[in-house]
Amino acid sequence: MSSDPPSTPRFTSAHDAFWSGVRDARGAPAMVLFAGMVGFGAMGRTNGFDLWFTSATSFLMFALPGQIVMLEMILLGASSFTIALATSLTATRFVTMTATLFPMLHEHDRNKALYAKVHLLAMTAWAVSLKEFVTIEPKYRLSYFMGLGLLCWLISVPGTVIGFLIAGSVPMPITLGLIFINPLFFLLTFTEIKVSGYRLAILLGSIAGPIFYLIDRDTSLLAAGLMGGTLAYWIDRRWIRCYDRKGTA
Amino acid sequence: MSFTASIAQNFDTAFAIQQGWGPWLALLAASLGTYLCRAVGVLLSGQVSQDSEFFRWLSAVTYAMVAALTIRLIFLPIGLLATVPLYLRILVCILAIGVMISNPSRRLVPALLTGTLLMVTIGVFWK
Repeated sequence: MSSDPPSTPRFTSAHDAFWSGVRDARGAPAMVLFAGMVGFGAMGRTNGFDLWFTSATSFLMFALPGQIVMLEMILLGASSFTIALATSLTATRFVTMTATLFPMLHEHDRNKALYAKVHLLAMTAWAVSLKEFVTIEPKYRLSYFMGLGLLCWLISVPGTVIGFLIAGSVPMPITLGLIFINPLFFLLTFTEIKVSGYRLAILLGSIAGPIFYLIDRDTSLLAAGLMGGTLAYWIDRRWIRCYDRKGTA
Repeated sequence: MSFTASIAQNFDTAFAIQQGWGPWLALLAASLGTYLCRAVGVLLSGQVSQDSEFFRWLSAVTYAMVAALTIRLIFLPIGLLATVPLYLRILVCILAIGVMISNPSRRLVPALLTGTLLMVTIGVFWK
């Protein structure tokens, strides 16, 4: 990952970059998110929640894993405090996702307004932005991100509403396909990672994830990320980067 | 019941208010917690240079966390996906990845469709 501007500028104006973000979102990211939200709406309906509550969840939280955890915990009768704690734990990935993506923005754009714009950040927009920012001039990166994130956020509520209304009306195999699309998307984006240290982090996270999940569900993501990531970082710094330097010297 | 009839029935009851203040309070708390995580990320991003060692460590932790979530959703799912045998889930993933790496730059949507349609097919024939 480099912040160097590309040799040939990809955009000529912020407007151009914004609409390019919207266009890029219309493909795989929007499809994935929309399908995920349809699945969530169906889940809300089949578990006896009303349309207002189910769609407000997508609008206000805009984080599918956390939304699903919250619905499950409400059904189990957990207290608001426990629910907030558990969903915040599933949202800890946003801390690192934001802290890794936003340093790539132009100095000029890194102001207080980011505290409002950050709500548009979800896993799908993050994965696409991280890949595309490298080829975009820093001053147009925020516009691109806004186009991408805004479309993703705006389709999440219609997706939830549609899922809510068709729940129980579509055959089981279609529901199966809808719930599988989220994990599959994340899995496929891993094949686009080219940095060996991060590839190692993905491998170690994959191994640590199920182990910590069997120990304690609520904290498993955080624990697996910290342990797997730190180990990968350490191995990368200790051996891989030294080896690379010797290889190129 | 026909598809249109069941949609119509859904419409009839969809707009009724069923939640009391309890779930709304939980939603408010959960939304605040989720937003706080995003805000802390912005706060940290102001102090982190992307060439720093801290940034490299943070990226590694994030990738590991996303990987852990993905593997959990595929290998240890809850609900409907759990009814599909593990070897079939793994097979679908391998086939989708195969489509993806055949041309990584423009194959995300075909790979996604391959995986999703295979899973729908399994749903049709498994039961």
